[in-house]
Amino acid sequence: MVGIIEEQHPDRARLFMQWKQMAWPVMVDSLNLLEVPYVPITLAIDEHGIIRQIQPPLTWVEQLPEEFLNRSFPEPSKRRVEASGLPDLGRLKRMARSNTATAWREYAQAVFLWGGPDRLDEAITAYQRALALAPEDGYTWFRLGVAYRRRYDSSARRAGDFQRAIDAWTKALQIDPNNYIWRRRIQQYGPRLKKPYPFYDWVSRARAEIRARGETPVPLAVEPGGAELARPTRQFLSTRPPEKEPDPDGRIHRDRGRFIRVETVVVPPEIPPGGVVRAHVIFRPNDRLKAHWNNEAGDFVFWVHPPEGWTVDRQYQTIPSPPRPVSRELRQVEFELRCPEDIRPGTVAIPGYALYYVCEDVNGVCLYRRQDIVLNVRVKKPRL
Amino acid sequence: MRALLVHSAIILGLTVGVMAMPAPPTGFEVGQPFPPITLPALRDGRPMSIMQFRGQKLILHIFASW
Repeated sequence: MVGIIEEQHPDRARLFMQWKQMAWPVMVDSLNLLEVPYVPITLAIDEHGIIRQIQPPLTWVEQLPEEFLNRSFPEPSKRRVEASGLPDLGRLKRMARSNTATAWREYAQAVFLWGGPDRLDEAITAYQRALALAPEDGYTWFRLGVAYRRRYDSSARRAGDFQRAIDAWTKALQIDPNNYIWRRRIQQYGPRLKKPYPFYDWVSRARAEIRARGETPVPLAVEPGGAELARPTRQFLSTRPPEKEPDPDGRIHRDRGRFIRVETVVVPPEIPPGGVVRAHVIFRPNDRLKAHWNNEAGDFVFWVHPPEGWTVDRQYQTIPSPPRPVSRELRQVEFELRCPEDIRPGTVAIPGYALYYVCEDVNGVCLYRRQDIVLNVRVKKPRL
Repeated sequence: MRALLVHSAIILGLTVGVMAMPAPPTGFEVGQPFPPITLPALRDGRPMSIMQFRGQKLILHIFASW
């Protein structure tokens, strides 16, 4: 048995395989290079690498039938191109100078797979060059999104990478709305579906069972959250009384990005009237100032102000402080907003703010600060 | 045999989207070679390809943990 996983976050697949005690060799196809339209797909392959069965009966997985095992399949008449290990990135980069979409794609793919996180910039630029030449290539839009999200999850991240990933995946799905892999990739980040899909609800159970066996679960670089979990289900504000606003008069002094850097992401980037978006607001301490959260003074608080006619599922949120005096982790809030049915097309600015305790450097000042944010949601014309 | 039964149970667990009706096209074709692409191995990130298994018959499972 050999596997290929279609995953943005391969570490989650490692945890899954550890949980299920699967010892097969498995490859990672984050870019969907196989161009499979959905998963799972099972193939029976002969000794020459030729596909002999597609979605074989389950009994084949348990035990390959003797008739298949004992048969010597004919060698293919055409000589196959042998996979030759790592590609020559330098050669592919030179070939990309021919400035064809194909050459840029091949270079982007190779540097994404084998160049490491420090070279994701090159992969992104190469995909962009390919799209400038062939803008209706859905697979390249999808892979550009994968590269942006990979960079977002790495130490090489840039502000806006997450939103650019969402925008690229959205474009891919507009080109081919039937691609199940692409559709699920966006749905992982919201908004939560009407029948929430348990993308990663298995993670907590897996960790418990692995620990019960006396093993240490494989660490995850990015924890599943928000729309990636079927629980809890969402409920919009109209069905629950609002929380009390923490700073209604705006009296708390502002941090305008000095101590804490903020990034906002809206999924999907555009909705029809009556539609729902999932907002992700990410807060990172400023590395240059060695800013850090002061966890001894109080919890992080977030408040969003939906405009007239809009509803929100979580207007007020808190993030409990970790059990140590200071920390520098990323903090994130997510929530969903529904726009009114009778809204005009255009961009709507939705304000909110966070309140937090933050310190600068080791012996620097510690302050209580408010940071205002604005979410820009595009409302498109309704389909007639 | 127990390992194979575990494998089949896992396949059942992973086949969330599989329908009882005839499956939609996969993009693969019987009689054609599996694409000789090289991908990173999940375990260590090193290059890996189906071509390494030449000479063996195998079941290839394309899946996701979601």
